[in-house]
Amino acid sequence: MANLAQMELRDLQSAATSHRGDRVFSRTVAGAAFTSLAVLAGIAIFLGLQAIPAFQTQGWAFLTTTGWDINTTPPTVGIFGMLYGSVLLAVIGLVIAVPASLLLAVFMVFLSPPRLAKVLTNLIDLMAAIPSVILGLWAFYILNPTAEEWQVLLNKYLGWIPIFENTSGNFLGTPFIAGFVLAIMMIPIITAVTREVLSRTPPDLINASEALGCSLWTMLRYVALPYGRGGIVGGVMLGLGRALGETIAVFFVLKIVFETNWDKVIESGGGSVATLIVSRFGEVSGPLELQLLLAAGFFLFIMTLVVNVIANLIVSRTGRLQK
Amino acid sequence: MSTITFDPETLESLQQQKSTRPWRKKPNRFTASVTLAVVIPALIVSALYLTSDIPVPILLVVIYLPLQLIASGIAAWATKGTRGIADSVIIVNAIGASLFSVIVLVSIIGSLIVRGLRAVSPHFLFQNSVYISPSTPLDYGGIGHSLVGTLLIVFIASLISVPIGIATAVYITEVRGRAVPYVRFFVQAMSGVPSVVAGLFILTIVVATGAFNQSAFAGGLAYAILMLPTVARTAEEVLKLVPDDLRTGALALGSTRARTVLRVVIPAARTGIITAIILGVARVIGETAPLLLAAGNNDQTVVNPFGSPISSVPTYIFNNVALPYPDAVARAWGSALVLIILVAILFTLARIIGRGRVGR
Repeated sequence: MANLAQMELRDLQSAATSHRGDRVFSRTVAGAAFTSLAVLAGIAIFLGLQAIPAFQTQGWAFLTTTGWDINTTPPTVGIFGMLYGSVLLAVIGLVIAVPASLLLAVFMVFLSPPRLAKVLTNLIDLMAAIPSVILGLWAFYILNPTAEEWQVLLNKYLGWIPIFENTSGNFLGTPFIAGFVLAIMMIPIITAVTREVLSRTPPDLINASEALGCSLWTMLRYVALPYGRGGIVGGVMLGLGRALGETIAVFFVLKIVFETNWDKVIESGGGSVATLIVSRFGEVSGPLELQLLLAAGFFLFIMTLVVNVIANLIVSRTGRLQK
Repeated sequence: MSTITFDPETLESLQQQKSTRPWRKKPNRFTASVTLAVVIPALIVSALYLTSDIPVPILLVVIYLPLQLIASGIAAWATKGTRGIADSVIIVNAIGASLFSVIVLVSIIGSLIVRGLRAVSPHFLFQNSVYISPSTPLDYGGIGHSLVGTLLIVFIASLISVPIGIATAVYITEVRGRAVPYVRFFVQAMSGVPSVVAGLFILTIVVATGAFNQSAFAGGLAYAILMLPTVARTAEEVLKLVPDDLRTGALALGSTRARTVLRVVIPAARTGIITAIILGVARVIGETAPLLLAAGNNDQTVVNPFGSPISSVPTYIFNNVALPYPDAVARAWGSALVLIILVAILFTLARIIGRGRVGR
């Protein structure tokens, strides 16, 4: 046997594992530990099975066209506009949330007095804790009129840029408002991760850069941001995953239309897979339509899973690099 | 949601860094130019606001922000030279971004309090909505049935997800099997499952197969899927804090591995595990989409977890938000206020307990 002092706790534990009760215990715990895998596989299999009939009747058109007509035989249904809409909303959200979160984190870590930074941290945590249904309620009554005013102004002065066109004169239920709400959900996530990463920049590096005459900007540009890049990208992807799956808050502020809204961000009407599911579920016409919704849910699941897995890989890899 | 703490050492060294530069006295010129750079743009914009009818968003974005950037840039150039200009841009924008977030938050919380208090009263918390239509005045009816439903659903979700979550954490920190990296990976992947997908999944395997109706049990299962990753990850962090001395000590006394975990490690981490449970509950308690699909809706108070659809606070809010009756909308604001207070209480509890004697 090896030197006793060098024995790891694990060896000690396995030395004590001749007991039958222990083997039962280990197996039970290991079984429970794989619940998460079982659930993920269950979701993929059961929703995937439901997606098969949808594919049989629709073919690839289910993914490449946009429409929701249940009354024809077979129904002509495609969710491309919804999938694209989810991405468009998330991109609008990111355009607002990423600069805001980075600046907020820089302010908290490098600029503000520590006491103010603590207050801000608590406020951002509170922001992360707001349930999405409450955010939806607020957006519907408080944000909508204000955002309508912003969009009218945007259209008036910048309407010559194609994305700010609005031909209907209706500025409610637009991708812009929904994206803004998503930004409010993403800001706490991205800020928390970025702040954590920036505050871990080794003080020696910061001191050294100051000694070399770096200003705040050059320090950020050449020391802090490159050091935390992986973590920041991972945080952004985590926010993106959250935004793609968001349902209820978007439900109240986006008018779902079954046409692909490519780039008209302040034109009423857009798409979102998650919101489509909830909005159609209330008036679902029969098992066939339910199956189509489950198929849509399957693709939403795959989309968010991919984003989250990539995000977690990036975050955990930078965590290792820093150690 | 993961709790993120400031690394105290980093914070301290950052502070020290500022205080250990006594040679850097702030000259009067610096103070004067910063004051001017703050006051002049604000004065100009206030004057414009009072005298002209330029819309406020344009005033702020097109006039105030550039003015402030130019003023700060000049101030920075006067005190620090060209190098300072980029810094001033960052500082102005960072303060702007912080103000923006604070304003959004104040608007949300403020509107909840102002509009929610109208509906909240003792009977609002205890009565149900059996005889209530959207146009019924606020003197009658309440969300008692929804509160009972939420509590029941959360309780069922906890019954399922807490043991599994703790067992997952025990596997990662105590059993330390070969599959630890994979288990962690799956737990993280699971935390990204959209809530509506969790609801659809339970709808497919529990409700659509006819095993159970839409019910508190089905809703609890959907919540459990969302709760499990939070409980498992927080419990893992907490178990890691238990000193190895306790484990080796128990093993040396002849305790089996199972007994070490159940009688020594978990009791030592008791408060932390309670924190993990509370954070898990706080994570799910406002989720709406899974309950719309799996738990349904009801105006009556339901206590049977299996039989019939059941109301909950988030779905109650959802159903009342867009109704064209002022009193129904007031009820939505009132129950949103109740819900956010519940969440705030849970987070405060988790902080107070978590600050206690975890793993010491």
